Amino acid sequence: MTSSKTIVLRSSDGATFEVDEAVALHSLMIKHRIETGGADSTTIDVPEVTGNTLSKVIEYCKKHVEAPNSDDLKSFDTDFVKVDQAVLCHLAKASYYMNIKGLLDLSSKTIADMFKGKTVEQIRETFHIKNDFTPEEEEELRKENSWNLFV
Amino acid sequence: MSKRLISGADQVLENVLENVLIFLTSRRDRNAVSLVCKSWCRAEAHTRSDLFIGNCYAVAPRRVTDRFKRLRSVYLKGKPRFADFSLMPADWGAHFTPWVYVMAGAYRALEKISLKRMLVTDDDLAVIAKSFKGFKELVLVCCEGFGARGLGVIATECRNLRVLELNEDEVLEDEFDWISCFPSDCTTSLESLCFDCLESPVNFEALEKLVARSPLLKKLRLNRHVSIQQLYRLTSLAPQLTDLGTGAFGLQDIIDPQQPAYQEPDHGHTFAACKSIVCLSGFRDLAHEYLPAIFPICANLTSLNLSYAHVDAQQLKSVIRHCHKLRIFWTLDSICDEGLQAVANACTDLRELRVFPTDPSENAEGPVSETGLLAVSLGCRKLQSILYFCQQMTNAAVIAMSNNCPDLEVFRLCIIGRYRPDWVTGQPMDEGFGAIVKNCKKLTRLAVSGLLTDRAFSYIGQYGKLVRTLSVAFAADGDTGLKYVLEGCTNLQKLEIRDSPFGDSGLQSGLHHFYNMRFVWLSSCRVTKQGCLEVARRLPKLVVEVFRRDEEDGGERGDFVNTLYMYRSLDGPRADAPQFVKIL
Repeated sequence: MTSSKTIVLRSSDGATFEVDEAVALHSLMIKHRIETGGADSTTIDVPEVTGNTLSKVIEYCKKHVEAPNSDDLKSFDTDFVKVDQAVLCHLAKASYYMNIKGLLDLSSKTIADMFKGKTVEQIRETFHIKNDFTPEEEEELRKENSWNLFV
Repeated sequence: MSKRLISGADQVLENVLENVLIFLTSRRDRNAVSLVCKSWCRAEAHTRSDLFIGNCYAVAPRRVTDRFKRLRSVYLKGKPRFADFSLMPADWGAHFTPWVYVMAGAYRALEKISLKRMLVTDDDLAVIAKSFKGFKELVLVCCEGFGARGLGVIATECRNLRVLELNEDEVLEDEFDWISCFPSDCTTSLESLCFDCLESPVNFEALEKLVARSPLLKKLRLNRHVSIQQLYRLTSLAPQLTDLGTGAFGLQDIIDPQQPAYQEPDHGHTFAACKSIVCLSGFRDLAHEYLPAIFPICANLTSLNLSYAHVDAQQLKSVIRHCHKLRIFWTLDSICDEGLQAVANACTDLRELRVFPTDPSENAEGPVSETGLLAVSLGCRKLQSILYFCQQMTNAAVIAMSNNCPDLEVFRLCIIGRYRPDWVTGQPMDEGFGAIVKNCKKLTRLAVSGLLTDRAFSYIGQYGKLVRTLSVAFAADGDTGLKYVLEGCTNLQKLEIRDSPFGDSGLQSGLHHFYNMRFVWLSSCRVTKQGCLEVARRLPKLVVEVFRRDEEDGGERGDFVNTLYMYRSLDGPRADAPQFVKIL
């Protein structure tokens, strides 16, 4: 039987989540906090992550800790990242801060796939990025890319 | 709070972008990402690990090292292809030296260097060996300027070496025993060792010991000084080989008194042990009676290169009929049309065929013709790439190929005699090449020959929308041909033309497109210095080089320039141009 010790995780917006310790330890950041935390380490703040995202991260960790060898793990992962682009980015960031390699790679790869085949303008639009090159700088860089770093 | 969530996506992404970019490998995609904004450009530059530079003079080495901080692999190309045909003066350039010094200072973790048509010195190789501690792969294709001494330093210092490939290089014959330089006290990490182009013999005893302690060796290509007896000894030590260049595949000329008395090699055994060989080449000094030794592995072969051996039709038939899985086949025309028919019968999966001329002179006998081409087109429907040298051809056969082989991406037909028409009809070869560009919708590379009028070039301009590389020799009526090509072929990257009547007016018609191209080469055409100057004036970022071949230093061509070689560059003209090169 698993130990019944639970940990409470608190998101940036004050939402709390009670999870089994084993599940929480899937995050190496939390693992480190617990190991170095001392006696009162049952509530851990995760200020870099909002409640919505933390909830999803916990869902991921639960699945991977409780059923790591299950046949549907792959399809779980595939479905897990079928979310909109903003949620995906938050998941990537959260997994980075919380040091959850599997989730970081999964979300990173999915975002990378979203870049494929897109033009610069399309990428900027999809991810709401502002172009801070001057027209001259951009032209020079375009030339450098296509002239010298031939595709 | 929620406002930050939504607009925060871009900030969020920057933090993890370097992680994301690990999964983005295509150059095209990475180039797009680098243009998004400044911080993305930095992140992309930090995570790009492979760099391909199509023209070493198009960019200064420092520009590369200033932008990319952590390269693992660099592929640099120097001279254009026509340099292979002695159309470029010696000492023209393409020096690797400035690159190696700049990279040595910037990239501690560089693991792989590939160079094509560059001048590489022994010193350069020593710099590689001493500067990059984890160096793993060196591939030199059509390079020159180095000798066995340089190879020796690589072998000595690069303890993690996995790949050392010399491919059609001109290696100085300094008689240095480089094979003995590999560390002898441990197993190596060698996966690939290719020195089939080396003219001098290597120390066989040392080679044998090296192969014996290289358990990961998969690719081994030997030079012609390795006899068939020696080959058998090596293959028995390395049954795991997948790619073998056989060396001579004949007997040694000089009997080594220390060798055991000559014994008839056991045909059955040699290759029976090598069940994994899928790629076979070599046969540099073939003793034909030994050809049957390869029969046991023919059925597994996907690639076979017999282009260094004079194999006739009967001999070829005995081999090729086993080669059902063959995808790549290189040969001399000694196999004749009959041999090509046998290829067509047996190799239905063939993707690439190259037929080289035994005798490249104009009035030689032509053992292969339109008959062979037609046979191949009927038997090898999946053909993607063909290089075919012949003395005579017909439009009908070329048209047939265009219809039978719709997957063709590379079509290079070299009718050796200049200005030869379709020998059956007497017509120019316009319709044949026209059919190729029209019917082969994936065509990216084309080489034309024979008697051609402007019509051929109008077809190319009209239909050759995906063509990136075009080679023209001894063709056309006048400027209009060049105009058709430069105006029509919107994806043209590399244009190499020799001995064709294209002049200034044709050249001017490409002004709108030259910045999109990697290079343009025109030699023995009808462009004048004025015409070239005009291009240089209108396109300041184009480096316009004008020069002449060594042998022609006396000869006057009047106003006409001997060779025009021009290419775009962000960093201006090169500083290392020799005397005879004028940069306009």
